[in-house]
Order: sequence, then structure tokens, then C-alpha cells
Amino acid sequence: MATKIIDEYAEMMKAYEQSGGNVGEFSNPNVPSIVISGNKVLGKNEVKGLIIEPTPTKDGVDVKITVKKGTKILYPMALCFGVLPKEGVQVINMEAYIEDEAGMNAVSHCVFPNAEHIVHKMNYKVHLGNHSFFRYKEIHFHGDKGGVEVVPYTEGEVGENSYFESTFTLKEGRVGKLDIKYDVDVKKGGKLELYSKVWAKGNDEVNIEEKGNLKGEEAKALIKSRVVLQDNSHSKVLSVVNAYAPYSRGHVDCMEVVQDDSVAEAVPVVGVSNSLAKVTHEAAIGSLDSKEIETLEARGLTEEEAIKAVVSGLLK
Amino acid sequence: MEEILKVTDLYLKKGNKEIIKNFNITVERGSISVVLGVNGAGKSSLAYVLMGLSGYKPDNGKIFFKGIDITDKTVTERAKLGMTLAWQTPASFEGLTVRDYIQIGMKNKSIALVKEALEKVALDPILYLNRTVDKSLSGGERKRIELAAVYAMHPELVILDEPDSGIDILSLEKIKKLIVDFKETGSTVLLITHRDEVAEIADTAFLMCSGEIIKQGSPAEISNFFKDECNHCDHKGAPEKIIQENVK
Repeated sequence: MATKIIDEYAEMMKAYEQSGGNVGEFSNPNVPSIVISGNKVLGKNEVKGLIIEPTPTKDGVDVKITVKKGTKILYPMALCFGVLPKEGVQVINMEAYIEDEAGMNAVSHCVFPNAEHIVHKMNYKVHLGNHSFFRYKEIHFHGDKGGVEVVPYTEGEVGENSYFESTFTLKEGRVGKLDIKYDVDVKKGGKLELYSKVWAKGNDEVNIEEKGNLKGEEAKALIKSRVVLQDNSHSKVLSVVNAYAPYSRGHVDCMEVVQDDSVAEAVPVVGVSNSLAKVTHEAAIGSLDSKEIETLEARGLTEEEAIKAVVSGLLK
Repeated sequence: MEEILKVTDLYLKKGNKEIIKNFNITVERGSISVVLGVNGAGKSSLAYVLMGLSGYKPDNGKIFFKGIDITDKTVTERAKLGMTLAWQTPASFEGLTVRDYIQIGMKNKSIALVKEALEKVALDPILYLNRTVDKSLSGGERKRIELAAVYAMHPELVILDEPDSGIDILSLEKIKKLIVDFKETGSTVLLITHRDEVAEIADTAFLMCSGEIIKQGSPAEISNFFKDECNHCDHKGAPEKIIQENVK
């Protein structure tokens, strides 16, 4: 049994490294971390002022993370979630409480290296107190078979003069089916930034629904999406910013690059219900700019290398 | 001297319009050759045809680079042979840093050379190396980075399409110095411009009008003719008239 756990941990670390993570983080006592494979917690490290409370369930793990009032966590927390078999379901219910005047950065790598039919659901609830911050990055590493269904839902509230940034990245391997939803309220002076960067291939399906609600005076939101599609992939991006309070400001910036027989749809929705608020948007769907490609070809790159360089930049 | 570029009987038509016609030039290795012409003379189209960009395949004629017929070669093949182009209005690249952009075309990825190239175009490497080559740069900054990128490539032939446009007057001398540096580091330069004061650094000059080379000579001779005749030209579209009048 112990050998199996050690092998599983080693395989998770291998996939973590392939997705761009630094495995040394998990042996550094100063770096808070958690490793979850399926519904097993394989490792956990807390640091002063940070409490991690995992509870295994039938299909996954419920995790409560609390950053105590006034604590700023020095090193970004490393999270590694994944499913190693070809088939399976993983449901992570995560609640993050960043108390007043507290702050943390976190990088989560979700790895499904052998996926043929995997469902990964991440239900995230984020509560930021006042004068606090939370930067969360979620990086996915999938195999090239595309049999993954990824469903990350994030609900949250950003307290007064607090900052929440969330970045979702999936550019290695096949997407499979991706269904992202954000719904975040922002209080007075708070700031919300949501970034989604996805490279869809084969018959991948991408659905992104991001919503920022500016409920407090001078609240701000930026919602930025970059989706690159090729082959027969499909995407739909719905970005919504509603400004309810005076001097609140929002901006939606969506770009989808369509190649081959892929299909993209972008729906920016901006609503203002206070005459002193302002929300702007920009959306672009189209092929890669031939001038960008030819510029790189004139530096000696092949067309394939040039496309990769341009796409990598867009998804950086 | 050795010919590095030879263009014979080049002809390009877009729709019903003749963009380049009866075009013949020879560029010698190690030289700076300038193609001078007013806006709309077909100078940028010439640069695109020479580099092989999409939509600019010549209807007739041949292009030889180092004696190799490159008329049907791709942009990448031409670049790998040793030629490149600095665009008049360079493209923007979201997420690509100045350092990465310059290094793309370099054989060795020496950071010292990247810094040197930026300094050549009067940009402080400390301030620019990690900036992205996107729309946050001004047109002038982007243009200088383009020149730095082609400088760091050390190409055998560089086509500079209006490197002086969008550059403030104080920086113009630096750009001229950079063009001379291209030559001194072993590159041959085909300089395309509508500013006669830039032409003075060239070894040979060609005057282009309505898609044709109508005059070839020393930079001083061509610049004087350009100043006197072309800046207030009433012969647009009829270079044969100029030739006839010039012959008279």
C-alpha cells in the first residue's frame, strides 16, 4: 500500500514537472502545498498563518484554506490536483478564506497525463476580507487524447480595497471539454482581474462564462480571454461586467483566433446602472495576422514555428 | 564586385493596376543601395516581392539572391538563405518580449548582442528587454526594435523599408549611423525611402517612379534630381515623360 502511494506521488510529481511546475516546492518547508490524486491527499504543508483542512469525499476532496488576519504568505502556495488512471472523476470543493489585511499567491497545476475519460470538477468559493489580496493561477496539463471534461466554477466576493486575480491556462495537450464559470462580486475600492488562456485542438469544446459584479464605489474589473482554436474545435466566450456603483470601472477584452475548421463565438455583455460608472469592451475573432507570421518567417522560422510563437505569446 | 541580388524584368500587377513593371536592378555585396521614390511609387511592394510575401508573387521576371533563383521560394527559404526585411510598419506581438523577439532571428542567442542591438537604436536595454512587442510601444519604439532585430540577425542582405519614417529628426542621424553599421558588419543593405537626405549614406541610388526604375546614379545625383523634379512632380504615372525630358 505504502509503495503504491509513493509511486502515485512520484507519478503526480512527474506530471507536475511536465506541466511546468517545480517539484522542489513540495519539499521546501517554507512553501505551503497540497497534493491530491483522485480522492487521496498525498501531501500537505502548512506555514504560519495558513491553515489547510482537506476532507476526502467519495469522488474527491473538500479543502478549506484560511489565511489568518494580517498574514501575508511569503511563498506562493503550490497545489497539485490530478487523476492518473485513464478514467475517473475528481470533484474538488475548495473554499478559500483570505481574512482582513491578509494575502496569498497560489499556483495550481491540474494534471491528467493519461486521460481518456476524466471528469474534473472544481467548485471554488473565494472570500476576501478587506485590504487583502489573492492571486490564483490554475495551469492544466492534459494528454493528447482529449478525454477530459474540466468544469471549474468560481464564486466569490472581493472585500473593500482588496484584490483578486485568477488566471486559467490550458495550452498543453488537448482540452477535451472545458466549461469555466466565474461569478464574483467586488466591494468598494476592490479590484478583480480574470484571465483565461486556452488552446483548443481536435474536436475540443470550450465554454467560458465570466461575470464580474461591481457593487461598491470605485470597484474595478478586467476580464481578459484568449482562446486559440484549430482543427474542428469550438468555443463560446461570454464575458459580463455589471457596474452598479458610482465610479466603478470595468473592461472586457476577448480575442479568439480561429484556424482550420474551428468555430468561435464571443459575447461581451456590459451593463451600467449608475450614471457615474463606466464599462468598456473589445472583442475580436479572426485568423492569425499574416503579417505577424510573415515577420517571423522573415527571421527564419517555418510557418509552423511562427504560428507556435505567435500563439504562445497570445496565451502567455 | 560580386552581385548579391539581381532582379530582371520584374512585373507585378494587382487587379488592373501595374504596381511594378520592367524592373531591373543589381545590388553588389557589401554595398548600401538606395531606392528613392515618392509615396505610391511601388517601393514597399518591391520590398514585399523581394521577400516573397503572400499576395506579392511576381507576374513575370526573376529574382536571384547569391546567384540562386529565389523567385518561387518561400519567405522562410529566403530568410534561411540570408536575407530579411524590416517592415515600414512592423507587426505587434502580444506576449512576446523584446528579448525573445530579437533572439528569434539570431543564430546564437547572445544576450550581449541583443543589448548591443538595442543600444544601436538608442533604446536602453534595461528598460526594454522585458517589455512586450505589443501595442503598448509607440510606433517609433516598435520601429527601432524592428531595426535592432534585423541588426542582431547579421543577415547577408537586409531590405529596409522606410526605416526613417516615424522617426524623430534627432534620432534620424542614429538610424543613418545604424544603416552604415549594417554595412560595416558585413550586411548588404537595400534601403527604400522617400527622404533624399537619407540617401546620402548609400553607394548607389535608384530612382523609382510608378513601379519602374527611371534613373540610376550616385546618391548625390539621384537626390538632386529627386529634390528638383519628384517632390513637386506633375508626371505621376508617366515616368516615360520624365525620361524623355531628362534625355532632352
